[in-house]
Amino acid sequence: MKKNYGIVAAFDTTPALYHACEQVRDAGYSQWDALTPFPIHGLDFAMGVRRSKVPRFSLAGGITGFCTGMSLIWWANAYEYPLVVGGKPYFSPMFAFPISYELTILFTAFATIGGMFLLNKLPMHYHPVLKAPQFVRAMDDRFYIVIEANDPKFNPAQTRALLEQAGGKDIAEIDE
Amino acid sequence: MSAPASSSTAPGSTAALAGKFLIAGIAGLVLTALGFLLTNNHQGVALSYLVGISYWTAVSIGMLLLVMIHHIVDAGWSTVIRRQFEHGTSAFLWLAVLFLPLLISAWVKPGLVWPWMDLSHEIHGGHTVGTDILYQKKASFLNVRMFTGMTVGFFIVWVWLSSRLRKASFAQDSDGEVKWTFMNRKTAAFGIPLTALALSFAAIYWMKSLEYHWFSTMYGVWFFANCMRAAMAFGVMITCWLYARGDYKGIYNTNQFHCLMALAYAFVVFWAYVTFSQYFLIWNANVPEETFWYNIREHGDWVYVGMLILFGHFFFPFLFLLSYRRKSTRGPALFISIWIATIILIDLCYNILPALKDAENQPLPFLSINLLWVLTSVVGVGGICVWAYLRSFPTAKLIPIRDPRIVESLTHHEATAP
Repeated sequence: MKKNYGIVAAFDTTPALYHACEQVRDAGYSQWDALTPFPIHGLDFAMGVRRSKVPRFSLAGGITGFCTGMSLIWWANAYEYPLVVGGKPYFSPMFAFPISYELTILFTAFATIGGMFLLNKLPMHYHPVLKAPQFVRAMDDRFYIVIEANDPKFNPAQTRALLEQAGGKDIAEIDE
Repeated sequence: MSAPASSSTAPGSTAALAGKFLIAGIAGLVLTALGFLLTNNHQGVALSYLVGISYWTAVSIGMLLLVMIHHIVDAGWSTVIRRQFEHGTSAFLWLAVLFLPLLISAWVKPGLVWPWMDLSHEIHGGHTVGTDILYQKKASFLNVRMFTGMTVGFFIVWVWLSSRLRKASFAQDSDGEVKWTFMNRKTAAFGIPLTALALSFAAIYWMKSLEYHWFSTMYGVWFFANCMRAAMAFGVMITCWLYARGDYKGIYNTNQFHCLMALAYAFVVFWAYVTFSQYFLIWNANVPEETFWYNIREHGDWVYVGMLILFGHFFFPFLFLLSYRRKSTRGPALFISIWIATIILIDLCYNILPALKDAENQPLPFLSINLLWVLTSVVGVGGICVWAYLRSFPTAKLIPIRDPRIVESLTHHEATAP
């Protein structure tokens, strides 16, 4: 049996979509998305999207990188195989700093990319909206709102009424 | 966002405030002069004055560079704050005037501030500067005539560039001609290298030559980093002041504020990169010709000043500004900007004041009466600079209202929900 994925509504202009998003946001929905051919400034605010959590991954990656660099050089030069180089101490944060700094950047970059993939559930080879033929225009000249059926506030009749009231056109249900 | 209401583009009167800063400035200068005349500590007062004037020159150079970088990259978001930096650069003329006492001292009493100007000045080992081979080799560069000519040249470059940029920008307010934007872009194209050279040589002549044996290729860049950080710190203070007055309400949004703080944040890292590189290369090479400069700064309480700069100039602002919220909220941003502006002053003290030596040729401590003269100098020169800014402030619109990029700047993408 086909399962309902959600309800889609189309909008012709960015202001129409923007204000519709505000209404969906204020109605308290959480599992929904807007599909647009190009980024719309301020839409994340209209949708009530909070700031991304990716920076937390970045910070964790950076701290890991810095500690890795420092401990690697301490372990190699001062602990496992103590070696005098250029009359310098076995370990000093001075000469360990450039490496730690590089690893901070490298691990931050890895964690940022990784965190972004994780939070976006990428790679995603299938998404139900790809089956709906009208979404071709989401890459061209039309704007869509999709409210998912697994949203706690989802109710086929009420959600449809909300989208109609918000000015949505060609409202349709799409399958999982 | 709609165009700003006309009432908010007509800046309110700043005459009373300007008067207060002028009085503070004159008071600071008079106190510094009295300190120079009435105490025996001539060199200490003179070097403290050098700290004060270098500090405010750094602020102005940074503002000049921010304006020129804005033009050369055809920036959008910063159009709205550019006008304040243009007002800030009106201080150059007064800085040139305020530098005169130091120039006069170079002719009247050579060696008072810069030891190499006095050829009979005794250096370590019983030699004099005049018999020092390291001075003789540098004498064509380090002589009073070159010093005077170069210093006059620096100020001519800065005054000329800033007045050109200001004139074109203010003229655009009235006629809206796009040619002024192109003129400023051309000014920026040759102005950036000129300013870069002038500020590097200024750092070398005014500060680095205090220890003329020493050399560091990072010195000009170090000063540049401080210039930029100082200008942005004062930019944030100006922004907050204009918010408090109500001028910036509905004009300067959270995202432009965040952009300014993000740029300031980038320069936290840039400053650290440059300053660490200078220290690290000298530490690693371990050549006495270079290390002595840092050895001086590990004597007495200077080692703690060094630590304060390491942690207070880099680690603290770096960790503080990591979060988006602190970069986009006025309170924390204002706090860290005042902090950075203060620590830059200490960084300049760290570079200049150890030139004051005791009988054993060791640097005099940081915590001394000279801090009082640093304070009077900073207030003195700063009062005049802020007065110059406030005097320029009512002569033009609050924002470059007819700049081609102004709409783009005003509608700069609003920040997301916190």
